Amino acid sequence: MIQKDGIATQEMIDSITPSAERRSKGPVAVVECFQSIPCNPCYTSCPRKAMKELIDINDMPQVNTDICNGCGVCISHCPGLAIFVIDETYGDNQCLIKMPYEFTPLPSEGDYVTATDRGGKPVCRGKVVKVVNTPMQDRTPIIHLVVPKEFSMIVRSLNINDIYDDNTYICRCEELTLGELREYIRKGYTTLDEIKRITRAGMGPCQGRTCRQLIMNEIAKLTGVKPQDQLMSTFRPPVKPVKLGFYAQEDTDNE
Amino acid sequence: MKRTDIAIIGGGPAGLCASIAAAKMGAKVTLIERNSTLGGQLVKQTHMFFGSQKQYASTRGIDICKILDNEVNKYDNIEVLTNTTVLGMYEDGVITLDCNGSYKKMLPSRIIVATGASEKYLPFANNDLPGIYGAGAVQTLMNVYGVKPADSVVMVGAGNIGLIVSYQLMQAGVSVNAIIDAAPSIGGYLVHASKVARLGVPILTSTTVKSAHGKEYITGITTVKLDDKWQEIEGSESYLPCDNLCISVGLSPLAELLWQIGCEMKYVPTLGGFVPTRDNHLKTSIDSVYVAGDVAGIEEASSAMVEGSIAGLCASRSIGLTMTDYDKVLADYIEQSNSLRRGPVGDKIRQGLAQVEIGGQTK
Repeated sequence: MIQKDGIATQEMIDSITPSAERRSKGPVAVVECFQSIPCNPCYTSCPRKAMKELIDINDMPQVNTDICNGCGVCISHCPGLAIFVIDETYGDNQCLIKMPYEFTPLPSEGDYVTATDRGGKPVCRGKVVKVVNTPMQDRTPIIHLVVPKEFSMIVRSLNINDIYDDNTYICRCEELTLGELREYIRKGYTTLDEIKRITRAGMGPCQGRTCRQLIMNEIAKLTGVKPQDQLMSTFRPPVKPVKLGFYAQEDTDNE
Repeated sequence: MKRTDIAIIGGGPAGLCASIAAAKMGAKVTLIERNSTLGGQLVKQTHMFFGSQKQYASTRGIDICKILDNEVNKYDNIEVLTNTTVLGMYEDGVITLDCNGSYKKMLPSRIIVATGASEKYLPFANNDLPGIYGAGAVQTLMNVYGVKPADSVVMVGAGNIGLIVSYQLMQAGVSVNAIIDAAPSIGGYLVHASKVARLGVPILTSTTVKSAHGKEYITGITTVKLDDKWQEIEGSESYLPCDNLCISVGLSPLAELLWQIGCEMKYVPTLGGFVPTRDNHLKTSIDSVYVAGDVAGIEEASSAMVEGSIAGLCASRSIGLTMTDYDKVLADYIEQSNSLRRGPVGDKIRQGLAQVEIGGQTK
């Protein structure tokens, strides 16, 4: 309950969720202010007058979603940092969430971060596509975060650390962590074979079945070369590790 | 002995606004501040203020501080005494000062007391361990001196100060392990609570600190849950690690000077303790003494600024000064003051003020 833990209930969220029809039309502001307090910058800052007039300064904010175009000017003006803009038309299965973020270091465009919910719990991986930080935002930068569409009303914050942090294992056979892998890619080892030769990733018991795709994705992320365009490593027998003595056996079956 | 029209004690938001309002009325103002710079708590308030444009809503406290400071500097009739503490207020209207180490006396025609408040403290085992701070001190270390005060903090108190300082600790790279509050629900604005909740900070209500642990300095605390009668629930103890315990359990008006001079005082818990009775022009039971801001009852800084303006105008008017549209300007401030308190979060303030207002709605 919000009065006890600061987290809005589903009922409260439902009450301020724009209609599916409106969400399908483009960006729109979502004001998560659930208490009558003496405050009105959301109303006074809106260039389109989409916020219902607060006749008394203690009135609760109400967005007219027909007028609101999701410009996001109100986001940095809300002293409670309670305003978000969601855009479910951003991509086929993706949505864009514009959120205030007053922490350093700021994420950079292109960064993957951990998208979190109203309780700070990780929801999914998110991609930062824009960081708006001009004098207009007056030190309340706005992050444009892309997440799967179903999380448009769930993701409300971010953790700059990618959901996969540097200590995450990429190759468990040869104990290669994501941090080490990134370091090698940055040093110029940018193909699967190069990574294999320098780290042994792919040469353990599983023969690359765990790490191959992960390494290619990470190379794609850091170099921009898509997995389908990367050089595939060379496949040679055996497909599983066997002892040398195994090959020393003679095949006595002389058919 | 120095003479002045209006001595204003305290250079925080209330005192600054009182000085500006009195200076506009043409009064000779002496603004007395015990610190080396003006601004009071504004100097460390890096968050945006609530309210309306008239009270600088959406502007950060540190920026409001600059705006008011610049405004004060525009008036030749405001004299600012920094590093100056008022030591006593006497029945004949004389005040005594420690002015940068020299002893001074002053006889003002009117005094506006805007001394603010001090932080309340909590009794619990080992509460003298190094690493246990008031939230205000931690905020000063971070936001004024740029010192990271700890690595991991437990905040006691989910009022606005506890919530805001927790958020600012996170901004400084400190982890906040939990915010605990003895009350069954969050006292601060819910938007502030949501701000820290979505950073993953647990807010634990009906929970208080039972004891602190550590040898050289604090390393953790034992918390205990409280039932609906605020009694400890046996067996509900739990350990939380931290290297800093931040106490933010409310403020007490700094009213010693008002007691000294003999203002009528009333105990009103919702206003923070003993506060002076006053009329709606902020005049106390003593004709020459006005009050503004937290010393008159703990509220938000936006209310303190409006009260300062009202006290500055009315104290000046009482010595025969005036200005164009005086009535209109005063009425506007009184309306601002009422509107800030009109909503549900102002309920307790309004009830408290009803107990200390002299003469009801006087003109």
